[in-house]
This record gives sequence, structure tokens and C-alpha cells, in this order.
Amino acid sequence: MSRFHPLEITDVRRETRDAIVVTLKPREEDREAFRFTQGQYLTFRHRFDDAELRRSYSICAGLDDGALRVGIKRVDGGAFSTWANENLRPGDLIEAMPPMGNFHLPLEPEAAREYLGFAGGSGITPILSIIRTTLAREPKSRFTLVYANRQVGSIMFREELEDLKNEHLGRLSIIHILDSEGQEIDLFSGQIDRAKCDALFRHWIDLPSVDAAFICGPEPMMLVIAEALRAHGMADERIKFELFASSQPGRLPQKPRRNGAADAAATCEASVTLDGVTRTFSFPKQGQSVLEAALAHSLDAPFACTAGVCSTCRAKVLEGEVEMLVNHALEDYEVEQGYVLTCQCYPVSDRIAVSYDQ
Amino acid sequence: MNNDTMSIEDYLAQGGVLTAPGNAPARYRAELLRLMASFVDSELAGSAGFADTINDAPGIKERIAAARIVLEKADHAGRVLSVMASFGADAGRYAVHHPWAARLPREADIGAVRQGADRRLAVFHYPLRGWVDAVTMNVLMGRAVVIQLKELERVSYQPLAEVFRTITPRETRHAELGLEGLKRIVETAQGREQAQAAADYWHPRVAASFGVVGSARHDMLARLGLRHVPNEALLAEWRAAIAAELAPLGLTVKEG
Repeated sequence: MSRFHPLEITDVRRETRDAIVVTLKPREEDREAFRFTQGQYLTFRHRFDDAELRRSYSICAGLDDGALRVGIKRVDGGAFSTWANENLRPGDLIEAMPPMGNFHLPLEPEAAREYLGFAGGSGITPILSIIRTTLAREPKSRFTLVYANRQVGSIMFREELEDLKNEHLGRLSIIHILDSEGQEIDLFSGQIDRAKCDALFRHWIDLPSVDAAFICGPEPMMLVIAEALRAHGMADERIKFELFASSQPGRLPQKPRRNGAADAAATCEASVTLDGVTRTFSFPKQGQSVLEAALAHSLDAPFACTAGVCSTCRAKVLEGEVEMLVNHALEDYEVEQGYVLTCQCYPVSDRIAVSYDQ
Repeated sequence: MNNDTMSIEDYLAQGGVLTAPGNAPARYRAELLRLMASFVDSELAGSAGFADTINDAPGIKERIAAARIVLEKADHAGRVLSVMASFGADAGRYAVHHPWAARLPREADIGAVRQGADRRLAVFHYPLRGWVDAVTMNVLMGRAVVIQLKELERVSYQPLAEVFRTITPRETRHAELGLEGLKRIVETAQGREQAQAAADYWHPRVAASFGVVGSARHDMLARLGLRHVPNEALLAEWRAAIAAELAPLGLTVKEG
């Protein structure tokens, strides 16, 4: 079960037209829990009317900055990021889970390494944390950042990066790639594609001398760069990814429909959707769980423990009502959205519709 | 970036990796959990089954080797269970929800079928019978685990791939310890006889743990980046590796 703690917002800075940087302070008793490693993220939750939303945002501060700070960029149609950009104020409280994530490599003070970072848009947030921490704690190491954005106005942390460059002269180089603005050097305009990566590795970045690469951005960018790095001989263990998925739902979830019809029958008519296929069948309300019924009707429904502790058999109830006997793996807010553990569910209403695809 | 959206399905089909539980769509999450549960259950069952073998060990060094295998396999299960926990599984309850040491009769014939809600590979339902039997089983299954881990390290869920990468060198060492033990066993005629009987018993059962040939599920899992090499290829690699390991010891394998 997750543990949320209140954080006090001590500062909100508008970074670009659609991104803010929020500074947060944990309570005294939570300070230990909120110690973070560079590259990690915080998961926030907020209640919108009758639905809880949770979203994760990466910490942009370095370990030595003395503050907990995240960047939140507004996503089109994103309920949470829009609310945050429009509403957060110093003095507000917001709930978050302690820092999570594995987007980092151990630092060694004596090491003299070459690091390479690729950031796409808001993907700069965890990479900024990594850059700040690395420059401070591995004084002999250097960092090259390739940073892709639509246009100059949407570059998050532009000034901060410039300041870092000047502060650590010669140790941080930044290549800005802008999609919709022409630059003096042709290579630095447009989108990051394979040809551009090849050219960067030929003329600007000496890949064989790079010890590790960090990549953070949306799906297409991750694929292109991963492929290019591998093609130029970089081993998988030296490439760290953090996916900022572009296709996640931003909207508020819809509650399951309740029929309101009489529920007195001894059997239930069930529609179960798996891998895009919906099968409808009847089964007795007593004696067979939804999972067992699905398996008995040749659906390759997922399951593992059948004890209500692993959540492999999780599905969403779209219609009707079920009773869940045991639940040690779903959180309240998942149950609120209609999720159930099908190995523990028995139908109550005469009709149910369940999907493993959502 | 214009083309900065792409469906997760396309992304995975093109070799993309996911990096946090929130990235995973519903079906991917379910298949990933299934895969992890099978590994956890197998490691816990393997660890529990080997525990009695410690007391069958013929010497101190052998005791230590067996104890190390018991300890480390339990640790491996715990590492993968942590990843399951990040998806909501109650790791503490999961670790004790099956009697991991429970075994079916030695002569039961269950093929490759997992038993109900216990997701361990079928081979771990058969009991060990003494030191030579345990060492031989460890050699055969140890090689299988290393080959299966090479496949699992390529899984498209990055946090899990990283965990598997930390596990591989230690499982490799378990297989090596087995081979060292087996070499000592076949120094006597009686030892070699017992080892051959054990190999005959365990070979088909370990072979079955590679799964169904021509699996339809494999294509679905491959699209999700959860599998890359078909079962039959992994099985062939294992057969060849085992034949090569056993031959110098004067042991043969029964094909089929």
C-alpha cells in the first residue's frame, strides 16, 4: 500500500508559458523519507470532485541544492498538469509519495567520466537533477547535453543551464536542437531523427569516450536515440532510460455504469473483454469467481496467486456490480475507479461487463 | 517535436522500453506480473527444495555451497517481488502464500503444466532425493536458468531487466557449483551410476520447463517486448549445452 505525505509548497515559479517549477517542503518527521537520489520522481495525488488522480513529476533539483523541487509542464488535455499550472500557490499543501525511480548511476568522487544526456521537452527535469548532482559530486567528470524543444520559448531551465555552464567552465556543453526555428547550424534544427544522431556522433560527440548515456523524453525520441546509440556500439548496460509517455490518459476516469435493474437471478450474464475480444456467457453467481468463469470459457485471463495479493488478475468493471472477497493488492482509489481482483470477485447483479484491457 | 506521440503498443513493438509502473498499459502489466510471478515462485520453490539438501551434503564445503544456493535464490525471489510490489502486489503476503517446499510424488507426471495458482515451473514440483540427485538436478536446471535469464534480461520493462542483470552472475555461479560437485561425484563408479540415473530422471522434466513449442502466446509477448527468442530455440541451446557439459563426465543424455 502506498504512503502519501503532505508537502508544503514554498515557491511556484513560472518557467515557461506552460511549465512551472514548484519547491516543496516535507514535514520535519518526513524529511528522512523525502531524501532523494538524482533522477528520481515524486508521485502526487489530488482529488477532483469524486475522482482521485495521481501523476508523477521528476525532481529537477540536485542533491546539494538544499531543496525538493519539481517541474510540471502542462499537457494538452491533461487534467492534473492543467490544474497544477493554474492553481498551485505557495502555502498550499499537496500530497506525495516518497521519491521513487532508478534513473541514475552511482557517482564516485574520484571518477573522471564522460556523460551524455538526451532530453526532449519536459524530459529535461530529471536530467537537470542528474547534471547538477554529477557536476558537484564528480568534479573530474564532464557532461554533454543534447536538448530538443519545439522553439526557444518552450525551453525549460534555459537560463539555469546557461548558469551551470558558466559555473563549471568547460565541463558542461549543451547542444540545443529546435524543431520549428532555424538555427545557424543546420544540424541543430528540426527533430531528432536517426540521420541527426549519426551526424552528431560523427561531428560533435565522441561516442567511444562516453561512459554512460541518460535519455528522457517521449516514445519516438527514445526509440530513435536508443537505436542510434546501439548502432554506434554503445552497450545496453550503459544506457539509462526514463520514458515520459505521451499517450497516457490525461482525463478524469469515468465511473462504472450501474444498471439499477433487479438483481435476483441465480445466474449472471457476463461480458468479458480481453485483448480486444469480448466474450459473453452465463455462469452461476455462487461458486465460481469471475476469473474462474473466464478461464472456463477459454479466455486466457491473467492470474498468478489467486489469493488477492498479487493484482495480476486486475480488471475494470464497466457495468454491473460484483463483490470482492479479499483485497490486498488494490488501493482504494483503484477500487473507486472500478478495478477489481477477478480471482476474488463474484457477481451480484444479473449483468456484468468486465475488461482486462483497461 | 511533431511526432512526439506514438501508441505504447507501437513503441513496444519497435523495441521501446518502459521505465515506471505508470507507463504500463493494462495487458502489458498483467503479462509482466505473470512473468514475474512465475520467476518468483520458481526461485522460492527451488530455494525451499534445496534447503533439505544442505543436510545431505558430504562435507563442509558442500554444505556451504548448498546453503549459499538456498540463500541466494530466496534473495533473487525477493528482488523480483519488489518490482511486483511497485505494481501493487503485497510482497509480504505473497512470499508466504504457498508452501514452497511442498512437492508432488516423485513419479507424478504433470508435463509442463503449472499447478493451479502456484506459478512455479512444473519441474519444481518434483522432490529431490539425496545429494547426488540434488547436484545433478542443479546442473541441469542451473544451465536452464542461465539460458532463460539471458532471455529475461532483454525484457522491455527496464527496472525488471536491471534486476535480472544483477541475478545472472549469481545463478551462473550456482550452476558452476553444481558442475564442480558433479565432477567429484563421478570420480567413483557408484557415484557415476547414481548421477546417470538422476540425469535420466531430470532431463525430460527440465526440458519441459522451456514451455510449449510453437507457442501462440509467444507472438503476443514478443510484440510487448517481454519475449524475444522462441521456446524451441532456448530449448535447443540448453540441450546442446548440457550434452557438452555431461559428456566429459562420462554421462549421457536420453534424447526425446
